[in-house]
Amino acid sequence: MASFRNGSPALEEILNKLQSMVIVTDIDHHLYEIGSIHYNVQVFASNANFAYISIWMPLIFTQVMDPYKSLDCSLQDIMSRLSDTIEVIETPKEGYVLTLRLNVDRFQQQSKEDCKNIIKAISSLQTIILSSQLKAILWNIGSQDTSNELLKPIKIVYHPREPFFITKMPQQLSVTVPMRFKDNSDVILATSFFQELMDVGNSWAHDKTPRCTWSPIPPPNLRGEHFEHLITNGGFVTFDIFSKHLKGEKADMVVWILLKFNEYVKYHVKQCTRAFIQRKMRQRMGIMCEVIQNARIRREASANGMQTCELKANCQCGKKLKKISRPVALRNNFKVLTNQIKLFRSRIKIKGLHKIKRHWFGVPKFTSFGKYKKFT
Amino acid sequence: MANTLRLYLTCIRNTLEAVMCLQNFPCQEVERHNKPEVELMTSPELLLNPVLICRNEAEKCLIETSINSIRISMKVKQADELENILAKKFLRFLSMRAEAFQVLRRKPVQGYDISFLITNYHCEDMHRNKLIDFIVQFMEDIDKEIVELKLSVNTRGRLVATEFLKQFI
Repeated sequence: MASFRNGSPALEEILNKLQSMVIVTDIDHHLYEIGSIHYNVQVFASNANFAYISIWMPLIFTQVMDPYKSLDCSLQDIMSRLSDTIEVIETPKEGYVLTLRLNVDRFQQQSKEDCKNIIKAISSLQTIILSSQLKAILWNIGSQDTSNELLKPIKIVYHPREPFFITKMPQQLSVTVPMRFKDNSDVILATSFFQELMDVGNSWAHDKTPRCTWSPIPPPNLRGEHFEHLITNGGFVTFDIFSKHLKGEKADMVVWILLKFNEYVKYHVKQCTRAFIQRKMRQRMGIMCEVIQNARIRREASANGMQTCELKANCQCGKKLKKISRPVALRNNFKVLTNQIKLFRSRIKIKGLHKIKRHWFGVPKFTSFGKYKKFT
Repeated sequence: MANTLRLYLTCIRNTLEAVMCLQNFPCQEVERHNKPEVELMTSPELLLNPVLICRNEAEKCLIETSINSIRISMKVKQADELENILAKKFLRFLSMRAEAFQVLRRKPVQGYDISFLITNYHCEDMHRNKLIDFIVQFMEDIDKEIVELKLSVNTRGRLVATEFLKQFI
């Protein structure tokens, strides 16, 4: 579930360590998340007051002239709140989109609550940047009203292998997610899930949510796209988003859900449903095994023996109701067990046999009166 | 239970009762070997005619009999793709744990989903009637379990879908 969280758990861990660390040597961490987001955390021992956090992430939409322009406005809020601890370096480190300078001294002096907030803000930057990109695209498409660009889908690449498409329709946006699965069984489980999703989405109770449709073949709005994008085994899920779904704070949530939809489905299918099926199968197997075990003759005999023992014990209990402490009971059980082992291991014994043996088969003892002489 | 299923299971039960009269019989080919003849099929005089009981195209049961062993192979109902995958998963799960059942074959006979091999030793170790009960109950349970699994997977999917769509509100 880590991938559904807004923050990066690995970066959170590093920043938590940094909070209580005495910096003696240089620190240089490189983190890769979801295969495409790259973090670099650097602290130099020569200048231990500052930590440099650089972030690189893919452009989810390549056709925009200045894709990172939208970062400024979304970062402003965060930076205004944390201006005394963090600042954005104007020229980011080579190969990165954004570089932040963290004042380590001030960071370590903060209270626990404040530190937690700072860490949360830094670790969720990637979410904000990605969401802001998609949000900008959605607004951009929404504001366009050119009839030429109608129905022309825009490819969004969040995961390099799993792009999805946004198409502007009259008064609505259509987000189409092609679904691909490696395993054939996953395809079938996912298909049943999509059908349920469609049923639930079309129900009266969910009329405020975006309309969701699933089709095994590419929807008509994807006509003209590259053939490789249209080959799927899981079909195409389409969300129809209206302006009411993008109002206010809802927009962030909608954007995040769209970005994570693929992972959400895979998590549900691969982990949850499979584990659920496995659990159910194990339970049923236990019941079936019980039936075959009951069919065994020896088991029945032992079960009968147990029953008689229990009956006897019950009868005895009826005669003398005596409380036995747990250690005493354990000792008694141990005695019974050892006796049984002895009985099992020992040969057949007949009472008085040893006397007869000694009498009839015994070898008489001879005592010599003479003594040995030592030869010297 | 549906009438057709009851008839199908009764037919299997009666056939099993008739064929389960096994005895110890050493191998005729190799000295001091004692193997299930139904598997080896070395001597035709030790084999009986196999019995095929069909409920429909998708559900059938093959009972092969020999002097010292019986092989029961089943084909389980799979109405749609989801049932097909659930049946496959479940039967594979059981086959991989065949030692817990003693009479279950690790690999089913070709064209069937699951196979049992009952030898004269099993008949000596277990009650004959209970063994037959187990086979019949197994067939009944498999059908029931697959239907239940399908329903619960769909119900679960519906719940997940509801939770997912709730996020938009």
